[in-house]
Amino acid sequence: MSPGLKLVFEAWPYLLAFVVGVLIPRRQGLFERIAIGVVAALAVLLVMGLWPDKAAAADAPTPKEWPNLLNVIVFLPIFGSISVLFLPRQSPKLLRRFTMLVLGLDFLASLWLLGVPMTSGWHFQYIREWLPTFGIRYHVAVDGVSTWLVLLSTFTTPIAAYVSFGSLKTRTKDLCFSLLLLHGAMLGAFVSLDLFLFYVFWELMLVPMIILIGIWGGVEKIKAAYKFFLYTMAGSVLMLAAILYMVWTHKEIAGFVTFDYLALKNLVLPKTAALLCFGAFLLAFIIKVPMFPLHTWLPDAHVQAPTGGSIILAAVLLKLGTYGYIRFCMGMFAGPAWSAAANLAGLAVGGGVLYGALVAWKQDDVKRLVAYSSVAHMGFVMLGLFAATRAGVEGALLQMVNHGISTGALFLLVGVIYDRRHTREVREFGGLAKVMPVYAALFVLVTMSSIGVPGTNGFVGEFMVIMGAFVSLPLGSHGQLQAVLATTGVILAAVYMLSLVQKMFFGPLSNPKNANLPDLNVRETLALAPLIALIFVLGLFPNVFLDRARDSVASVIEGYQEGRKAYMGMEPGAAAKLRPRKGGNLETGYPEPPKPGGETGKKEPAPTAALDQAPPAGGAR
Amino acid sequence: MTFWFGLSPILVVGLGTLLLMLAEAFGKSPNSANPSDAGSGRSGELALGAAVVLLVGAAFSIGVWMVGPENLEGLEATRPYLVMDRFTVFFCFVLSLGGAFSALLAGGYLPEHDIDRAEFFPLLLLSTVGAMTLVAAGDMLSLFVALETMSLGVYCMVGLRRSPRASEAALKYFLLGSFAAALMLFGAVLLYGATGHTDLVGIGQGIATIGQPGSTVPVALVLLGITLTLVGLTFKISAVPFHMWTPDAYEGAPTPATGFMAVAVKAAAFAILLRVLLVAFGDDRLTSWGAGWPPALATLAVLSMTVANLVAGRQSSVKRMLAYSSIAHAGYALVGVVATLRSADGQASVLFYLLTYTVSTVGAFGALIYCGSRGAEATSYEDLAGIAKRHPAAALAFSLFLLSLAGLPPTAGFFGKLYVFRAAFDAELHVLAVVGLLNSLVGAYYYLRVMVFMYMREPAPGAQPAVPMKSAFVSSALVLAAVLVFALGIAPGWSLDMAGAAKLVLSAK
Repeated sequence: MSPGLKLVFEAWPYLLAFVVGVLIPRRQGLFERIAIGVVAALAVLLVMGLWPDKAAAADAPTPKEWPNLLNVIVFLPIFGSISVLFLPRQSPKLLRRFTMLVLGLDFLASLWLLGVPMTSGWHFQYIREWLPTFGIRYHVAVDGVSTWLVLLSTFTTPIAAYVSFGSLKTRTKDLCFSLLLLHGAMLGAFVSLDLFLFYVFWELMLVPMIILIGIWGGVEKIKAAYKFFLYTMAGSVLMLAAILYMVWTHKEIAGFVTFDYLALKNLVLPKTAALLCFGAFLLAFIIKVPMFPLHTWLPDAHVQAPTGGSIILAAVLLKLGTYGYIRFCMGMFAGPAWSAAANLAGLAVGGGVLYGALVAWKQDDVKRLVAYSSVAHMGFVMLGLFAATRAGVEGALLQMVNHGISTGALFLLVGVIYDRRHTREVREFGGLAKVMPVYAALFVLVTMSSIGVPGTNGFVGEFMVIMGAFVSLPLGSHGQLQAVLATTGVILAAVYMLSLVQKMFFGPLSNPKNANLPDLNVRETLALAPLIALIFVLGLFPNVFLDRARDSVASVIEGYQEGRKAYMGMEPGAAAKLRPRKGGNLETGYPEPPKPGGETGKKEPAPTAALDQAPPAGGAR
Repeated sequence: MTFWFGLSPILVVGLGTLLLMLAEAFGKSPNSANPSDAGSGRSGELALGAAVVLLVGAAFSIGVWMVGPENLEGLEATRPYLVMDRFTVFFCFVLSLGGAFSALLAGGYLPEHDIDRAEFFPLLLLSTVGAMTLVAAGDMLSLFVALETMSLGVYCMVGLRRSPRASEAALKYFLLGSFAAALMLFGAVLLYGATGHTDLVGIGQGIATIGQPGSTVPVALVLLGITLTLVGLTFKISAVPFHMWTPDAYEGAPTPATGFMAVAVKAAAFAILLRVLLVAFGDDRLTSWGAGWPPALATLAVLSMTVANLVAGRQSSVKRMLAYSSIAHAGYALVGVVATLRSADGQASVLFYLLTYTVSTVGAFGALIYCGSRGAEATSYEDLAGIAKRHPAAALAFSLFLLSLAGLPPTAGFFGKLYVFRAAFDAELHVLAVVGLLNSLVGAYYYLRVMVFMYMREPAPGAQPAVPMKSAFVSSALVLAAVLVFALGIAPGWSLDMAGAAKLVLSAK
């Protein structure tokens, strides 16, 4: 049988679901029909994936990894954004379709990542020399940690784009350009294993995000754009300094320049230097997370950003901070990270979970409330990372995805009401459940997920984080106290979210302006459906997720402990050293020193034109 | 033959200048109402001629580079007055490129703003020749002559507009510039008095004998000479505190001339600064962190970056902001100069930085020109408000060059900064590098501000926003610069190798 035909036979449940999805709706456009079909097929895919055929999986050969997959995933949107520049400004429809097509293809391509078993080590690795004289390589790969973030990104950005196209009608070209560029840059940052490449993508995210906030934002959009830019840039310049310092130290020891993560990871810096470099990286990441007291840009940016921008910001952009902490701070600076963990966890609990929740409680603006709830949720994630136990890190990773899903859905829902009423003041609403029953039901559902009610995704993540913090080694005896306090944070989350729901949806219909609001339309329901589905999938079957992350989390924690041991073994005042390579699948693609007399030395001119020849007679007078 | 070929980058431009002058003098003016000025109304053809001459000069530089000046016989004859080494050839290329960009910009700018005066182009070319000779100068005498050749042309270009403001700018620049040149000359005289040499190698050897038995070189004279020479040269690169003329001269000058000053004059001054520092003052005691010039230049670098960035943020005129930004960039490049102290990459980083700075700055000034037209010139931030909506191409081009100046990847400016700061880390100047990086954060603020105005603000009601001009000259220059900005940002391998190979080859100590 030809492989194409075989594929059709094997994929019949999905095709069937797709066809049914396309045919069922009445009076919808072709695009909506196809989208409903795709959603249906994906739902079937998820359900099928929950009960994997274990026997068949054991027999099946390990699927091949196509090395170019990550290049496609990263550069499809980037080239898409460049192509957008050449499409006519006058036809917004074409621009929107093109953008959705690119994002959809990107999502489908990223599903391939789920096709291989995520064993420990790097997958889909692709290495290419970029600037050999500088030791810079194009080095991308994923492991169990970044796979999920890549998927989260390719999954939420199309939703954000779809929502944006519904509400933002001006300057479509700029919108499409920045969405695609932002998407590509975020994906690039998640998969880069070369610090230079990571930094390039990290900075590349800035400009499209500023455009999103600054053009389609609310009243204070420009202030918010500046604030976002300066905060993020302040973090990243210091990170660049730390990167350069580490590259230099590596060169002094190993004799060759490299920006590669795998090589710099083995560097054991002297204590002061390690602390400073850790501080620089930490600053960049906790600004992005954001953690108290550097969180003040977030509410401004969220409140001013359009709905689509908020979704991307909450769902993916913030994850770059936590991802950076796992990958770079825990990977390269285990020692200082370990010794600072207890204090930082205190900050995450006190300033994030508790203070964030209390501030959220006092907000009048729904979007601001959700923004502060983000601060609280990200506090949970950071607590799990500082705990550095397996349950803690796995929970944190799950919580990152959860936060992306539930906060993304919340922003989407807030955007729905804002599009109808152009206000987000809580007191403007009341008794909406009578007018918009579907909307109210979905809002309550997402609220449950955000609070962490058992059965929804939020519960699993928060439970694992708290469990991890309770027995954590780095947190020591504080861990238990912090776990208990974080549990109070869950209660506070219930307080602010439920009081919001109560004020908005129940009670009498207080404001006559709300009497004739239309309920959710197809576009909005379509955007919400996948998010709602995932809330239950991750809540009821978290192993779908955790199975793939387990091995990588284990190796992250192992590396963390080894790094800490090496750091503790440093004598005070000792010079930096390089740990010996361990080999194994975690170090595939380790940069090799350039061969002497190779490419780089070739272009040096022969030093014959020396200036040291004696000056001619006329020179001295 | 090889001798003439070796000198061709300078000679070609020099001969071209003479031809262009003849063409200007004997050509026919289309503007018959004003027969006294044969050049008026002919900016287009003269700009094209000047650009071609300079690009041919650049092509010859590439040719000489490929053959390698060290392989050409007979070039020693011009030493020490003209030293044709890879360092010189590299800068001849950069200067020709910067000059060609300015010529193209002028071809659009001058007719548009009704200052269609043909003498601009010979002046531009003569200044470029001066700048090239300055880079090649290996003797204090030829250095001074070249410096004045370069500067005199620029003084005239600044005052081209003949408005009170332009005259003030020209006079200010002329007076301060002459004063600085005099100081430098005085320094050279003192060094001659101390060492008995005017050529840089000889001065270096004289200084090296200090402390050896039988040395007759007086230390005090040498130190005073070095100080005065450095003051004269840092004036030309407009490092704080010798920057006072810069904002006024840059603002008063026609914008293409401003671009030329920001690019060519600065690059040439940096080149000769490197040569003087490393050849004449390269003695171990003078390059030590304790007693030599590095701490002085590091102070200038920190001052230039910090002061200029802080002041630039407060400007209301975009042109003036770009003037301050060019001072700040001089500070970044000075970090690289100080890094030559211990890092093998220090020189290459300065060279590469100047190349990236040239394309981004020329592009930024070009985009500023492009955004305005007669009667609706773009000077203040408000003029640029909302231009992205009306003229997306102009705004996009401007943003690209600003991002490059701000040092955001994947543009040329990012790589330039990265290289300089990496060299600083190599030289263990960690604090200096961190100060520089923090400064680039401050700098990013005011570049972003322009973009905010272009993309996110609307012009105030009743205000007259800038209307972009239409000129093939300006747009071709912008496209060329944009291509280079991306090429140097994404695939800088070839230019990095070039900058690495262009290092001055110093006497083995």
